Amino acid sequence: MISWFLHLPFLVVGILVAIGLYTVLFKNNLIKIIMGIAIIQNGVNLFLISLAYRKDGVAPIWTSAPDEFMVMPTPHALTLTSIVIGLATTALLLSFVMMIKRHYGTIDADKVRRCRE
Amino acid sequence: MNWKMSRVVRTIADIMVVPIIIFGIYLIIHGHLSPGGGFQGGAVIASSTALLIIAYGSFGKHKDSLSSLESTGLTLFILIAFLGLGYTVFYNFLASGGAVFGGTVPYGINPGRLDSGGTVPLMNIMVGLEVTAALSLILWMMAKGSDSMDVEEASV
Amino acid sequence: MNFVEHAPTLILGLPLLFAFLIPLLGRISKDMRDILFLMGLLLTGLFVGIMAYEVLTVGGWTYVFGASTSEPTNPITSYFRITFVADGFSVLATLTIALVALGAGLFSFDYMAGHAALDKFYSLFLLTLAGVNGMVLTGDLFNLFVWFEVTSIASCGLIAFTNYRGKSVEAALKYMILSVLGGLFLLISIGLLYGQYGVVNYKLLSDGIAGSPGLFVNKLALGILLLVFGMKASTVPMHMWAPDAYSESPGPATPLIAITSLGSLFVLFRLTFGVYGVNMGPGVIGTILIILGVLSMFIGVSMALVQSDLKRLIAYLSVSQVGYMTMAVGVALTTWTAEGINGYGIMAMEGGLFHMINDGVYKALLFLAAIAVIHATGKRDLNELGGLAHKMPYTTVFFLLGALSIAGIPPLSGFSSKLLIYQSVYLYHPILAIIALVVSIVTLAVICKAFFNAFLGPDQGQTKGEVPKGMLIAMGLLTVVLIIFTLFPHYVVAEIVVPAIRALGVIP
Repeated sequence: MISWFLHLPFLVVGILVAIGLYTVLFKNNLIKIIMGIAIIQNGVNLFLISLAYRKDGVAPIWTSAPDEFMVMPTPHALTLTSIVIGLATTALLLSFVMMIKRHYGTIDADKVRRCRE
Repeated sequence: MNWKMSRVVRTIADIMVVPIIIFGIYLIIHGHLSPGGGFQGGAVIASSTALLIIAYGSFGKHKDSLSSLESTGLTLFILIAFLGLGYTVFYNFLASGGAVFGGTVPYGINPGRLDSGGTVPLMNIMVGLEVTAALSLILWMMAKGSDSMDVEEASV
Repeated sequence: MNFVEHAPTLILGLPLLFAFLIPLLGRISKDMRDILFLMGLLLTGLFVGIMAYEVLTVGGWTYVFGASTSEPTNPITSYFRITFVADGFSVLATLTIALVALGAGLFSFDYMAGHAALDKFYSLFLLTLAGVNGMVLTGDLFNLFVWFEVTSIASCGLIAFTNYRGKSVEAALKYMILSVLGGLFLLISIGLLYGQYGVVNYKLLSDGIAGSPGLFVNKLALGILLLVFGMKASTVPMHMWAPDAYSESPGPATPLIAITSLGSLFVLFRLTFGVYGVNMGPGVIGTILIILGVLSMFIGVSMALVQSDLKRLIAYLSVSQVGYMTMAVGVALTTWTAEGINGYGIMAMEGGLFHMINDGVYKALLFLAAIAVIHATGKRDLNELGGLAHKMPYTTVFFLLGALSIAGIPPLSGFSSKLLIYQSVYLYHPILAIIALVVSIVTLAVICKAFFNAFLGPDQGQTKGEVPKGMLIAMGLLTVVLIIFTLFPHYVVAEIVVPAIRALGVIP
């Protein structure tokens, strides 16, 4: 019963990634595509955090460490890095969309295809 | 693209900016002891920029100074990393030395010592500078609209 | 202490340092900014040279960050730190990257002169360089992700640098969306491997996979890695960003973006050979690589046939060249068994890896010559160009050398590597060699069309004269390297490519 319960976060991860992928693939609004990417990103972060979880583990901080075992710190570091990088990429993507809007007058992905001509 | 919110909003923003910045600095300084650190503290400080931009709607000419601050933070970060070159890059040459920043934290549950951590708090401060400047710059540029758009067509 | 052992980290750290210094000190004067950029490039090149000399004469080493000595002392604790690997394979990859970056960097002084916000361009250029170097040098998956994202962000910034052109921004947005998705899937794959084995270091991971090769999670992670780095390396069917990004990026950035895709291919080979190795049913991965390669070769070159935009044409040819390497390495992978790799497998590996360094150089030369043409005339449509050989003799020669190399015409170095690929692939399956030959012939046709249209015919007065000296020097540098590869292919294979194959653990 308990082991089934521990799998729940991974189910949520699957749902989040699926929603995000659906948004990226089937929406035409560029802002919505970026929102889809953000949803996938949150799903992936949740995935890493769930991987790191160990039952009854404490936070891996030196000064609060009694002699019990800790949750795994590497995925936490990976998640932090991913969040920081996600901020940069989201800012960059949004700036691109701002410039697209100024150049093309639209943010519809179907109409932003001058490169193909 | 200039707006100005009411006097109430502006006054509250003025008052709120101070504790926001202080909390950001707290997060940066304590980064090596508790959750937080350069990025988080810098993000908190940059949120005060967002507050001011929304309240006042004027931007001033801060682009160059923010950009310099960002580069300074990053350069000093890399230089601190290179200072360990006697051993390896990123070697923590200050830790456990007993000097400033060189204290040792006892093992177990304790409040921690602010002057421990060696180069880690220094790097946190540099990252804090960089993130403050970079995030403020991003917010500033996005609010204003990208200003490099006015460049003449120079080449194909 | 000696600086030789720090070479792998300086290759990465110096471009970063100069990338951050340029916006700061570049404010003093324009000359200062240019000097700093040049210093960054030259110092990086110098340390690549030092590392190459040390690795090829003495042997490789692993660099551990933040430890009291750079050598891994304790096998367990050392590998939980950040490690960089300096071996033959890193040497091959960083040499390719450094040569192309040096050429493109020297080219950019005259090309970008008069452009606004040049310090940002130089910064992004050096950041991209640092990112690719980090990707090929790193010894763990965590750093691979970090440098992957650094490369993505910096190269997208480079593509969109000419943000007054809508097309540049569009190409950058397209590449960025794909890169971010790629980065997230890379993260999932890292999570899967970490969840199974509890490590991110290549060496420990490789030991872990050798212990339990049959797990499904290995295959899932490998499939995602293939997808991500195949996308970055612009293999068909994940190539759609490449023509846009190559053709719409500002001049000197184009070879650098081409080199990020080659760097991703290097990473893919390190992962498939170094981490997964022989335990992972190489036949299946090899077959997938062969299919990707054949598709890239064929579709790339047939799309190049119908292009009239000079840069876009070369971009499609570059997609097709990536196919050769992927196919050759795929063939090598299929022949790899626990007993070792057989004769033609080694030849395919040599051909594939030699083609990578070759391709990096002549593709950069070709791109730079095309950019010089566009710079001098202001036109990029082949139907509007003509008769440039009268006014631009040097550029014509450079373009011709690059073009003949990419088509694999006998004396040039493109032929040496392609011959190795033809021979070895023929022994695996004759039809692959026939496809490779046909693609080569079509490449020749494409390149002939471009050359005749742009350079031959009566002088139409489209340009006043030759491009500035700085650009010629940059192209001349790459030409010298190309001629060295042409004259001593056997030496290059024996001294640079074979150590790289040895570093991957394919041959002892």
